[in-house]
Amino acid sequence: MKLACVVHRFGADIAGGSEAHCRHVAEHLAVEHDVTVLTSCARDHITWRNEHAAGASTLGALKVLRFPASRERSLHRFAEVSELAFSGAAGESVQEDWFRENGPNLPGLLEHLRTHGGEYDAILFWAFRYAEVYFGLPHVRERAILVPTAEEDPVIRMPLLERFFALPAGYIFLTPEEQELVERRMSTATPPSCIIGSGLDPAPPGPGADLAALGLRDPFLLYLGRIDPNKGCADLLAHFTRFKAEHEGPVKLVMAGPASMPLPSHPDIRYLGFVDEPTRDALLRRAVMLAMPSRYESLSLVLLEAWNHGLPAVVNGHCAVLKGQALRANGALYYRNYDEFARCVSVLLERPEAARQLGAQGLAYVEQEYRWPTVIRKIDALLATIAGRSPA
Amino acid sequence: MSAMPVEVDKLMREIEDDVRHMRRKRLLARGGAGDYRDPVLYARVDETLRRAIEARDHDALLLPDFLTGEADWDLSLHLKYASHRPVVGTALIAVKRRVLLPLMRWLYEFSLENFRKQRRINTVLFACIEELAIENARLRQAIQGSERPVSGSAPGPGA
Repeated sequence: MKLACVVHRFGADIAGGSEAHCRHVAEHLAVEHDVTVLTSCARDHITWRNEHAAGASTLGALKVLRFPASRERSLHRFAEVSELAFSGAAGESVQEDWFRENGPNLPGLLEHLRTHGGEYDAILFWAFRYAEVYFGLPHVRERAILVPTAEEDPVIRMPLLERFFALPAGYIFLTPEEQELVERRMSTATPPSCIIGSGLDPAPPGPGADLAALGLRDPFLLYLGRIDPNKGCADLLAHFTRFKAEHEGPVKLVMAGPASMPLPSHPDIRYLGFVDEPTRDALLRRAVMLAMPSRYESLSLVLLEAWNHGLPAVVNGHCAVLKGQALRANGALYYRNYDEFARCVSVLLERPEAARQLGAQGLAYVEQEYRWPTVIRKIDALLATIAGRSPA
Repeated sequence: MSAMPVEVDKLMREIEDDVRHMRRKRLLARGGAGDYRDPVLYARVDETLRRAIEARDHDALLLPDFLTGEADWDLSLHLKYASHRPVVGTALIAVKRRVLLPLMRWLYEFSLENFRKQRRINTVLFACIEELAIENARLRQAIQGSERPVSGSAPGPGA
């Protein structure tokens, strides 16, 4: 089949969740299909500044077509429109302005969809909140498959999305909770869809990188990812600091990832900054549990990675997706406040057998649901359905 | 031999029971409501409030729906600049935008997160009130049902 994947940024060096998800799915689809990625010239998702050259290039088996953004994002205007759009009383034009200001505005990509959209058997769109998806998908709705990557945040409550969510010919969801969230915003029955999560390769064998140089001592809780208040990190730091004040023991917190918030100094908290893949693997092998404090997730790839290494986790129970993943896999405990956080951490520290078993159950769940052949089989079945229905 | 499976659901019930017990003891030690000496009663209160916070869809609450359209209850988080002066109004708005806005924005962004927290607290309180109102209505129905005269209302044999 001839397929297109539409995504706001693309490249091996781009770390964003939906961008990485798109790249991995596109690379695996390219084994059997002719796949073209339609994207921007941006590296930076804040400004959408054109940094890559516009036009055609290749990345492995993928063809990549880049289109320049007509303007950079004005954060000031975006903040103003966001306040209006999420006030609960915004009209449709203000809501559409929000998508325009969020960007990236890629007139060339929209023109390509208008003029060449019919040449693809199916076109997959990643992340409904970006302008090129919101304004581009309606041009090719009969062959469009939306990967919404929806989260329980104010954007999903915009009234005009009810009409937008009725447009795609098919959906790829990351979790049952995400599907339910999007379906609550739909006025029509859900078109053909599948739930794929994300594919993972088995964790590399061996202990991974030598962590001695980092001076880490066991046992430690691990946080992996952007250190940001929006990811629940302020709560995690507050919870852990209080936990250490109230409980004796050697346990530490290790946070690995770029920081976008002030990092309080504490003798039992280590910040490693960005870490490479071998270090990441070694941390996941050595940690006693993963902490996942985010409230807004459409799928936690880090949680799947932890289970891929047989590591149990404590996750934010206010996030329906994380709680759902924890229960389905039988691989993580969940908390909704400090008391539950402290008890969950204590249980996993005091009962190492149960902790190991939770990690093993998480790994079994990944084996069953998230290996690439399983994921690609589900997408292929959906593609066959959509391609069979759309006009030639 | 493989280890015994661990059920997260079961383990979480155990953790939640531990936390409930700990919190009740802490509240009583601080002089909380004496009614909480009864653990069954405390568990019911805990369950009701928890249901309000977690199970209710906070986007579909009755009380905010009653108040929709009344601007004086909703927290408005948007900075608006306007002038009632017909002639110099445009110039005044331009000054406000260029001079006042940058100053105001700092203060605004400083307090915005607190406004958002207040909005979340308001929503949780609305949910709690709604949960109590539903429970109250159910209890009234149950009491009215039990107060009905037995003769004439109960179905006869074979009904």
